[in-house]
Amino acid sequence: MEALNALLAGFAVALQPMNLMWGFIGVTLGTFVGVLPGVGPALTVAMLLPLTVKLDPTGALIMFAGIYYGAMFGGSTTTILLNTPGESASIATALEGNRMAKAGRAGPALATSALGSFVAGTIATILLTLLAPLVVDLALKFGPADYFALMVFAFITVAAVLGNSTVRGLTSLFLGLFLGLIGIDSQTGQARFAFGVPELLDGVDVVVLAVGLFAVGEALYVAAYESRLGATIEKVKGSLLMSAADWKRSWPAWLRATAIGFPFGTIPAGGSEIPTFLSYATEKKLTKHPEEFGHGAIEGVAGPEAANNASATGVLVPLLTLGIPTSATAAILLGAFQNYGLQPGPLLFESQKDLVWGLIASLYVGNIILLILNLPLIGIWVKVLEIPKDLLYAGILVFATLGAYSLHQSWIDLATLYVFGLLGFAMRRWDIPVGPAVIGLILGPLAETQFRRALSISQGDASVFVTQPISATLLAITALLLIAPWLVRKFRSTSS
Amino acid sequence: MRSAAEIALSLGTVALGVGIAAVTATLPAEGGYAGIGPNFIPAVVAAGVILLGIWLSFEAFSGGWRKRTESVDAFQPSPFVWVSGGLFAHMALIGWAGFVIAGTVLFVCVARGFGSRRIARDLAIALVFTLGIYFFFVKLLNVGLPAGWLAPILGGAGI
Repeated sequence: MEALNALLAGFAVALQPMNLMWGFIGVTLGTFVGVLPGVGPALTVAMLLPLTVKLDPTGALIMFAGIYYGAMFGGSTTTILLNTPGESASIATALEGNRMAKAGRAGPALATSALGSFVAGTIATILLTLLAPLVVDLALKFGPADYFALMVFAFITVAAVLGNSTVRGLTSLFLGLFLGLIGIDSQTGQARFAFGVPELLDGVDVVVLAVGLFAVGEALYVAAYESRLGATIEKVKGSLLMSAADWKRSWPAWLRATAIGFPFGTIPAGGSEIPTFLSYATEKKLTKHPEEFGHGAIEGVAGPEAANNASATGVLVPLLTLGIPTSATAAILLGAFQNYGLQPGPLLFESQKDLVWGLIASLYVGNIILLILNLPLIGIWVKVLEIPKDLLYAGILVFATLGAYSLHQSWIDLATLYVFGLLGFAMRRWDIPVGPAVIGLILGPLAETQFRRALSISQGDASVFVTQPISATLLAITALLLIAPWLVRKFRSTSS
Repeated sequence: MRSAAEIALSLGTVALGVGIAAVTATLPAEGGYAGIGPNFIPAVVAAGVILLGIWLSFEAFSGGWRKRTESVDAFQPSPFVWVSGGLFAHMALIGWAGFVIAGTVLFVCVARGFGSRRIARDLAIALVFTLGIYFFFVKLLNVGLPAGWLAPILGGAGI
């Protein structure tokens, strides 16, 4: 019961008044920014990162946990009322949620989404609490070669397997890997690709890349292509309360979705997109009211929303125990850790026990804050949705530039931001995913370090990656993932 | 369908890879026990970018990039220029005019780019917004922001 003791100590940290307050501020701001149309959780976390630079690490990370959860939840509110998903994970919710809102049932849709998020988030946090110490024990057996293989596995699943196009996903990943090379080489002190610019010696900051791609790029894209389009906001009419029938139909969906979402979050499968769709498909299959699907079935909101939150918590398992981000948002969270000189991984559970368990405890607290904050404040979130597009993007860009400028107080970071904005514009326009680039930037330097460390230990013998069992297994799975789709296609075309 | 933009982006990727390779050639190679130096991974990345660029070019020349979502609307240059111009003005102003003035100019330009014609309203909202952020960051969060020309009014807390 060592984990339980550690968790109790964590609660002692999380429930300190100051930390509780940071949690509250985090959830509120995260929800507020997450509700803004066009602002997904990755951008929310990146934009709010500069707020924490002067806080102590524990307070800052607790605030971040709140922002992360708030952003996830805020996105679903927008989806239900506006039908413009701010994040891919919300698309499944939009299918039924917006229909419910159109049919005047916005209240129950928001309620089942809030309660489902709470139930799934809490169960997933319990699973995280139980699972994390086990993964840490396993991770302590990992050598540098194994870590490197694990990172390669994450790269390939995120960039090559998910998404429309393998080649465009990989191009985005390699762009991120290249940007990760800029700056001082951590092993030898050699400056690389900095061209004598002092701001570049520190390396490309993940905030500048994420905000450039997601905020500046998105603003340029919407301005150039969609500035004339309007959107209709559905009114929240009638009661927020769910009827007895709503409850009866929501409960099983929440639980099934948690069982789907959590495992998907823990493996590098690109975050919440797949589990939310799987949950939607499951509910559609199992429902006793198939005629309602497509016209606002409550299971179709309850399931995907719970799956979204469960996988958002699942993502924290590899992030905290292995230091491996499996979504763009997780990569930015990892950047937040690195700002404090903290490297998530098994050793962090030893050296920063209070911080890690305080963070996990604050996830329980954050879920409760989310629940008590969101339903009563729904009127405010609806008002936030009504901010006109011109003022919305103006405000987003003022905030986005502020984050980049506060790094070095230098216009060079703003110029870099604009370059990334153009890049984000082009990637959005020509359908190149941006997530792999963010993950490549953060994970690339870590992978290089492990690669060189492994070779140092083996005295330059490269066979170390295929002779050690964990590393060999991971690389074999990765290779299989890459060639399997190709083999299937080959097989199909020969058999037909 | 062949698209000039896809071809340009594909060839640009190849060019980026060649550029990375050229810089990598100037990096030292020796690296102690590992037997590889700080130039090894850059070389791998350069090779990867070049190969991906060639793959993209192949797709671009043979019927276009695969499985692309096509955007239907026409590109509107004027909003794009307003947003970009606002960002450049902000870049130039923030160091000496300060955060509040640079942010206000950026805000008004972006709003104009998104079709707003009510400059007085935008200006008023921008001032309230940037002043609010300024005080929130400088006084409450202790994060430095340049006060610039408004230093006499805002007090000396900024940099």
